[in-house]
Amino acid sequence: MSRPLAVLVWVVGAIALIAPLFYGCGAERRGQPEAPAITADNPKEVKGQRLFHRWCYQCHPGGEAGLGPAINDRPLPHIAIRTQIRKGVGAMPAFGEDLLSDSDVSAILAYLDEMKHSPAHSD
Amino acid sequence: MRNAHWLVAVLLVGSGCFGMMDSEGGGDISKKTAMKGRHVDPGDVSVPKGYRIEVVTTGLTFPTGVAFGDGGEVYVVESGYSEPGKLIRPRLVEIDRNGGGVRRVIATGEKGPWNGVAYSDGSFYLSENGGPHGGRIVRIDRDGSQTVLVDRLPSMGDHHTDGPVVGADGFVYFGQGTATNSGVVGEDAVQLGWLREHPDTRDIPCADVVLKGTNFKSKNPLTEDPDDEAITGAYSQFGVATNPGQVMQGQVPCSGAVMRVPKAGGNVELVAWGFRNPYGLAFAPDGQLYVADNGYDVRGSRPVFGSADWLWRVERGAWYGWPDFAEGRPLTMDFYSESGGDPKGFLLAKHPGTPPSPVALFPVHSSADGLDFSRSRQFGYVGDAFVALFGDMAPQVGKVMAPVGFMVQRVNTRTGVIEDFARNRGDEKGPASDRGDGGLERPIAVRFDPTGTQLYVVDFGVMRLTSHGPDSQPETGVLWRIVRNGGGR
Repeated sequence: MSRPLAVLVWVVGAIALIAPLFYGCGAERRGQPEAPAITADNPKEVKGQRLFHRWCYQCHPGGEAGLGPAINDRPLPHIAIRTQIRKGVGAMPAFGEDLLSDSDVSAILAYLDEMKHSPAHSD
Repeated sequence: MRNAHWLVAVLLVGSGCFGMMDSEGGGDISKKTAMKGRHVDPGDVSVPKGYRIEVVTTGLTFPTGVAFGDGGEVYVVESGYSEPGKLIRPRLVEIDRNGGGVRRVIATGEKGPWNGVAYSDGSFYLSENGGPHGGRIVRIDRDGSQTVLVDRLPSMGDHHTDGPVVGADGFVYFGQGTATNSGVVGEDAVQLGWLREHPDTRDIPCADVVLKGTNFKSKNPLTEDPDDEAITGAYSQFGVATNPGQVMQGQVPCSGAVMRVPKAGGNVELVAWGFRNPYGLAFAPDGQLYVADNGYDVRGSRPVFGSADWLWRVERGAWYGWPDFAEGRPLTMDFYSESGGDPKGFLLAKHPGTPPSPVALFPVHSSADGLDFSRSRQFGYVGDAFVALFGDMAPQVGKVMAPVGFMVQRVNTRTGVIEDFARNRGDEKGPASDRGDGGLERPIAVRFDPTGTQLYVVDFGVMRLTSHGPDSQPETGVLWRIVRNGGGR
């Protein structure tokens, strides 16, 4: 492993190690309906929104906690979320490429970003 | 790749173990004190900008449906039942839409629960479930006289005959829930209160099915011996095993199906099957029939983890996947076992068809129940479905990390995207009784008035989950109304 790659791995690993410690920190961002609905305003986010509602929503409704934990207030980097999706974590199953392509996962991540920044989710 | 595995290990440590966590459902009374009675305040309910929610009436006992007369009169059915041991006379009542409460009683019954209500050409249609021979579809005329259109529906198990809707074709459409969670009668049937009384109850397929012959071992609560065990197969009564290749004969009426009967009575016809509990039925403005269907629970001999509730577009003759598929996906996927690696084998050797994908997937354990479609530009969202989410019954149905449901959602039926439409304000999720405020408790039905400009929401009232099962409080049901402040959309 080259030195720059090793540094990158350690940085990402450190972030991934620390990030779960923030579980439960900060208010869970809510989708209160008096605020505008989450706007998926480019093709990637629109695709991500539909995929999210097909594969993720049932356990994380609106990004909030339900069967699973809230995911709309987590300071996890994309690489960590992508890894969670691909490998599963805890009771969450793994979503292989037979279910979600890399492009699909990228679209879901784009929608999650929009969810975190949407006015509907700012208290 | 090794790095990815390392990341997963770290995340696993950080995120804890679902299996070790307590359930945090909205109705779980084990950690909280139940609120007696009910305080109601529309200010505690959030609806989209430009809309408002108001109270039509309070003090209803276990209401399950609302319907409207030719002149816009408002009628509500009170089911008369919520859980075993809590029987009250079911009633069909007229409500003063201007806030004056119950104006008159149209009819009462002896055999609750009455589920849902539909109105057509001067008559009411509802399902009745408390009789000794199963569910019924009953017509009630304005003078209160009652006529049984269908009898002996298979409603002795987990799920009842569900509330009807009347089609433009002159048929009364209704859903019939399954007898079990996932095809096998287990110990959970004792906890649900029916196995000792109806030990021969089982699921009835709508057409012949061939079994794989998988059997399930459980304790036998029907004998005095605490160590006694029973072996039970699919579509069989408790304690009856099955063999590979065994054919279970289909018949109509059957379990987990949408069926129909002429308004004047007559033969029951199968519309579609392979549902689990097809609770809410409604026709979209284009005439398409949709159904809200309750997904699997984590209970019994064949628990299923992580199953959504579903909105289906109902196609005549189609099979929707129960007991081997959830949301169109096979239960053999490790999605459906909490620990992974323990996939549920199929019960059927050959499936009656390829189940379709649902229109939308609701949150796990949310109990997506009654629905209706907007038809008015004045109200907005024409063609979208509005669905009442009764709310989780955790831990009886499985664990959750936060309360799920307890709101009204809007579904874009073209995209499957769901938005909350009416839910309790603030950061704390769950029913009003859990939050200690005056918001929504357990929405069970929604229906637009004949003008299409007012969405009525039937709120069942307070139902908490104790270690002995549900505990519902009479006279805590509420009829809400959501209106738009003005303008078209």
